[in-house]
This record gives sequence, structure tokens and C-alpha cells, in this order.
Amino acid sequence: MACEFNLNFLKELEREAVLEVLYRDQMVRKTEEERIRKLKLQLQQLRWKGARNVNHEYQERSCARCQKSLGLLMNRGAVCNGCSHRVCSECRVCLNPCLWKCTVCYAHGDVKVKAGEWFFEERAKKYPGEAKGCRLTIRLLCGLWICDHGNFKTANILCFLTLGISHLQELGQSKSFNKSVENLVLSLTTHIKKISKSQNDMADRRLLTTDYGQNVERRKQRRSQSDTAINITSRVSILLYNITSSPTSDAVFCDGRKHGSLYSLNSTCTESGNFGKANVTGEIEFAIRYIFKACILEICIKGCKNLAYGEEKKKKCNPYVKVYLLPDKSPRSKRKTAVKKSTVDPEFDETLKYKIEYSQLGSRQLQISVWHAGALKYRVFLGEVVIPLAAWNFEENSMQLFNWYQLKPKQHLKPSAELTNWLFHMINAPVSGKKDPGVPNCQLQVMIFGAKNLPMLRSAGMPNSFVKGCLILPDQAEVKRKSPVLKKEAFPQWKHLFVFDGVTPPQLQQSCLHLTVWDKSSFSSSDQFLGGAKLGAEESLGSADPVPPSVLQWQEVLRSPNTWMDFTLVLHSNKENFKS
Amino acid sequence: MTDGDYDYLIKLLALGDSGVGKTTFLYRYTDNKFNPKFITTVGIDFREKRVVYNSRGPNGSPGKAFKVHLQLWDTAGQERFRSLTTAFFRDAMGFLLMFDLTSQQSFLNVRNWMSQLQANAYCENPDIVLIGNKADLSDQREVNERQAKDLADKYGIPYFETSAATGQNVEKAVDMLLDLIMKRMEQCVDKTQVSDTANGGSSGKLDSAKPEEKKCAC
Repeated sequence: MACEFNLNFLKELEREAVLEVLYRDQMVRKTEEERIRKLKLQLQQLRWKGARNVNHEYQERSCARCQKSLGLLMNRGAVCNGCSHRVCSECRVCLNPCLWKCTVCYAHGDVKVKAGEWFFEERAKKYPGEAKGCRLTIRLLCGLWICDHGNFKTANILCFLTLGISHLQELGQSKSFNKSVENLVLSLTTHIKKISKSQNDMADRRLLTTDYGQNVERRKQRRSQSDTAINITSRVSILLYNITSSPTSDAVFCDGRKHGSLYSLNSTCTESGNFGKANVTGEIEFAIRYIFKACILEICIKGCKNLAYGEEKKKKCNPYVKVYLLPDKSPRSKRKTAVKKSTVDPEFDETLKYKIEYSQLGSRQLQISVWHAGALKYRVFLGEVVIPLAAWNFEENSMQLFNWYQLKPKQHLKPSAELTNWLFHMINAPVSGKKDPGVPNCQLQVMIFGAKNLPMLRSAGMPNSFVKGCLILPDQAEVKRKSPVLKKEAFPQWKHLFVFDGVTPPQLQQSCLHLTVWDKSSFSSSDQFLGGAKLGAEESLGSADPVPPSVLQWQEVLRSPNTWMDFTLVLHSNKENFKS
Repeated sequence: MTDGDYDYLIKLLALGDSGVGKTTFLYRYTDNKFNPKFITTVGIDFREKRVVYNSRGPNGSPGKAFKVHLQLWDTAGQERFRSLTTAFFRDAMGFLLMFDLTSQQSFLNVRNWMSQLQANAYCENPDIVLIGNKADLSDQREVNERQAKDLADKYGIPYFETSAATGQNVEKAVDMLLDLIMKRMEQCVDKTQVSDTANGGSSGKLDSAKPEEKKCAC
């Protein structure tokens, strides 16, 4: 069952309303849980009172509950129907004239009734396998989350989830841990990461502090704002660990198709910063080669030396190596070696392979990191090496030899930073003077065709991409255009026409067109930059530099008005260089 | 009202066509107020109320008094919310199936609602009370009492004619449902706890259910 709850039919305000109700329901459930917990605790205490009796010799005739000694003729006590213990007449509760139970058995039954277990038992007859917790709420929440591509506020869901986390755990243990929850958890972590990031650059605080009822208010008061994000991250990561380490959910995950999800959950943890950090020391030895015939990139991991201890105090280290072919951080791009036990000088001798076109390698970076695998999925980062493959000469034999590389602390890789060469396909339609080229009333038309090989920034799927066009005129005025969003396509085909009106050819000579591709975030404030390309006059180029192709292309366009020119542009990932 | 000082949490759910007065009915029950304005419910909602339930011993002797926390779910009658609302049926322990005494159509649809319940409730024959609302609008009445009573008998469920406007029978209907649930609960427990004493349990009867506190959730 994918997601039973397709809640797309709800309007945004309606979703808010439903969420609000779910939230209130969650409060009721919390109270109820707490009440049941207390009831069970009391029952436990009642049991213990009697349990002390077990240490006494049983022959010594005494009541199993109050431990009053029982007589041989008078006040002999009687055996309880439920627990078969002999109890005195005072420790009995009469259910009807011919049936009684000892206090503990009665309390046990009473707790069951008061906890509403009769209901769950009855329901389980009709719906076997239904967890008694608030599966419904969680399923609805998934529905809300999944259909939420609008401006729905993350904060609401985050608050809700931190509240409902115990239920998610419960869900993780139930057998029908379904795809939607998986997605929910994944996208949740992605968003939390995003939020944490924006918290770091102090940019977008509103996301987390969006008012949601009193709860958030209270939370705001209790914690400092920057604290909040971190706190939530760690709480959710803990949850993730719990889910993956629970045996039942593992079993679900391990069936072929879902295998990847397990891994992605894992790495979401390690990627989101919830892992131990050791002082990075040591080196790693590996070799890289590309087999041209088979289009396979091979990374031979030989071993490491002088690694830091994953757990310094215990002098424990179980290292393994994990490799990503960045910018793809999805499970597809992940390769791992086996874990070596108790060593800081492990020898792996493993070859990790990627099937990849040679032309793509230039845009990739190999991230080779070393990790310590502790107990209960606890991970400690031991160091990494990042190798930009653009600079790698795969044809040179000497580059294929094994080499030692110094391990480095985690580098803050901005998504798609310094990664270039995303192919951008477009047909450019230039300058159609209205019959008379001298007249200032001209148009620049740009047909955006499509893009391919867009970087995968999210772990949970394809980008919802759109294109922004920004024409910068000589007086620094900016004319902006935007394409519609294409949802979940790796190779989007917008076929969208940008029309820039009222520009003259002389103006265009001095102008520059910035085209940027974005991943539309579900939350309008933080669209992710996927790449950008320029056409036209460069503002500050030293005369020594060769004329870049973008300038030549631009001039070509201007030279031939009223004709369509077809270009494929390379997308660059340095966001700062583009106006949008 | 979020303290856990109660003995039972009982979840009821009101269902029926759009506009029969589910929301006003519950509002009358929890707050003892009437809102004549029609505001369509968005998907789902709930109200809370705490009542005292007096159980009776087997020979009619007064038993213990229990504090019951009622969670009264309100559902949208509109078709477009159907997939959402029916999902909540599964979590409810008893149902207030409502129709509008001034609308023949809403009465005819009771059958559909019954089959919805059979399909989606926690068991095949859950506790239901049939409620004909808007009894105060006698001049506009389209459903006569006999008709409704017959249908209720056919399903073997109690029937009440209520008015959220005047408050007539509102408490009575809910109390009856609560009583049914408490009895069923005792039976379920008896079956498991008291292995072979068939009618061992005490039968409860609701004392006019003086609410301990009257507050609504919102």
C-alpha cells in the first residue's frame, strides 16, 4: 500500500484545518498514554508487593497478596481462579456472588478495561495486523506531507512529528511499515537539514518559528531559536536509528526493492550530522581507474593506517569505507566496503564500481570517507578524501596506481558547489525586430527547451525544476522571466518561451542573459539552485582572458535577427555568479 | 481538559448527510449551546466532554461511579471528504448516525451510512444510535416517527428524535450510546476474564450523567 491517503483533494487551508485537528487529537492521545502508563505502573507495584512473598518459603501458609499468615482451620484462604495463588479473604474482589479474584488479577483486568484494550482486541479481529497506536494519524500525516507541494508550513508538521515520534517508532516496529512513512521520514530529514542549514546562515528563520498554536509559542520561549533546529534534528535521527535497527522493519527493508531505502535512511543519519566525530588522523590507500570499454569507474580501496579510534575511551575502532559519486548523494551513488573489526590499520582490498559514461566524469567528485561502525548503528566519522574527477587523467597509466591520501575532516560541501557541466539544452530565439531593426521596439525570444542530468539534490526523488531568465541590461536594469515548474522529472522539457520586450539591438549588445535552473521547494522560500548558464556580454573580464563561448554565442544571435539559433549550454553550479 | 484524571476514554463519532446537524448536535451536547449558522465541517473535527457513568451491580444495586472522558468526533457529511472521514470510523467505539427529520433524502441515505459503517467500523456490528434531528421544525417534517422507528428496529438499534435547537433528547441519545458501549465493554472483558460465567458482569446504567465539568476542546 503506497499511500492510502491521497489528500490532494484538500485545499491548502483545509489541510491546515485537518492538521490542526490531528494535532489536538495527538494531545488527547498523549494524555491517554500517560494515564495508561500510570495505571500499569500501579499494577506493577501491586504485583511487587506480592512478589516479595515468592522469596519466602511457600510452605509457610500466607496470603500471596498481603502476606498475612493463613490458618489451618480458620481463615485458610482460597486459591484465586486467575493466578492460582492462595489469598486471604480480604484480598479478594467479588465479581459476582459465585466468582471472585485476587486483588492483583482484578487490577490486571481492570487496567485492561480502562486502557481500552477490549476495543483493540475486537478491532484486531476485523483488521489483523493493525497496530493499536495512532497509525491513522501517521498515515494521514503522510498523506498531508506527500500532497503538500504548495506553501504549507513545515513548522506545523515538524512540531507535530516531534510530538508523534513515539508513534512513528511504534510504526517502525509494526509490519506494515509502508512506503509513505519511509518517504515521510526521508523528506522530513531532508527538510530538517535544509532548515538547519538556513539556520546556520541566519537566512530563513521564519520556517521554524512559524506560529503553530501554543505549543510552538512555548517552545520558542524555552529554547533559543538556533537551538531548535539542532534539537529536532537529533531527535529525528534517533528515531531513524530506531527504525532501522528494529528487526521487523529490517526484514521489510531487506526485500530486494526496498534495500536501497535502508541504506538511504542510514546515510541520511550520517549525512545530517548525527554521528560522532573523532580527531581525524591517518591515511587511506586507493587507486582509481576508468575502464573505457565497459564504461566502469573502479575504486580499489586497499586500506588505511593510523586511523583515529572511533571510540577513544574504549580504544575501539571498526572501520569501513563509504564512497559517493557526488553530486549524487542518493543511495544509487553509495558504495561501502565491509567493516573491519578492532583495527586502526584496516586492509580492505575491495573494488567498488560505478557504471558511468566517461563524459559525465568531469562533473563528478569522488567522496571517499572512513567511518567507525559502533554498536546500535552508532557511526563515527574518521575522515575523508574528496577527489574532483575533472582533474583526473584516466588515460594516464601512472594515475591508476595505488596512492596514499591524507584523510581530512568533513568538508562542508554545499550542494552542487564547484560542480560544473550540467548539460542544458535550449533553443534560443533572438531579436526579431518589428520589420525595422532600427526601431527600438524589438523582442528577444528565448525558447527554453529542456535540461538533462540535473543534479540530484534531494535524497527522496527527482527535482521539481523550473527555469528563471534574467536579462541584465547595460544600465543594470533586470528583466525577469520564469517558467512553470515541472514536477519530478530528471529530464524536464519545459518548452517554455521567454519574451523580453522593448529592448534594442544596441542594448542587447551590452546585455547579459542569465538562465538558472531551480528545484522548486515545497516551501516557497527556499528553492534550491541547480545550476546556471550565461549568454552575452561579460561584465568584468580581463582582456587577457580568451573570449568565452557565451559571448560568442550571444554575438552570433545578435548578428542574425529573426532566426532561431539552437544552443546547448553547460550549467554551472556557483550560484553567486548568477542573477535570477 | 488535558489532565488524565478519568477512568475511560470513549470515542464516539457522528455521521450522516451534510447539513443534518451533526456539528450543532455535538455543540449542544458539549457546551449546551445552539448555533443556528450552517458552517460546513472541513473533513473532521472533535469535541470533548467529561461525564460520570454510574455502573449498576447485578441486582440493580448502585455500583461504582466512573469518570468517562468522551471524545466526540464530528465528520464532514460532504461526499468529497468521504475518504478522509471513513478512515476515522475505525477508531471510534460507537456511532451517532444522524439524519434530518425535515429531509426525506437524508433519511433514505441512512442505509448507505449503515453499510459504510459495516465496512469501516472496528467490527461488523458496532454500537449505533439512530438520531432524527431537527425535531423542533415540526411543520417541515418529512420523516414520520413510525418510519424511522421501523428502520431502527430493523437494524436493532435505538432511535431518538432530537433537536439541537431546543436540546431535546440530545443528552439522552449520547448517554444511551455510552451505555451500550460500556455494556459491550463489560461483555468483552467478561468473555476473557470470567471464562465461563456467562452473565457474570454487572450491567451499567447511566445516571443522568451529570457532567463533572463542561468544557469544549477548542
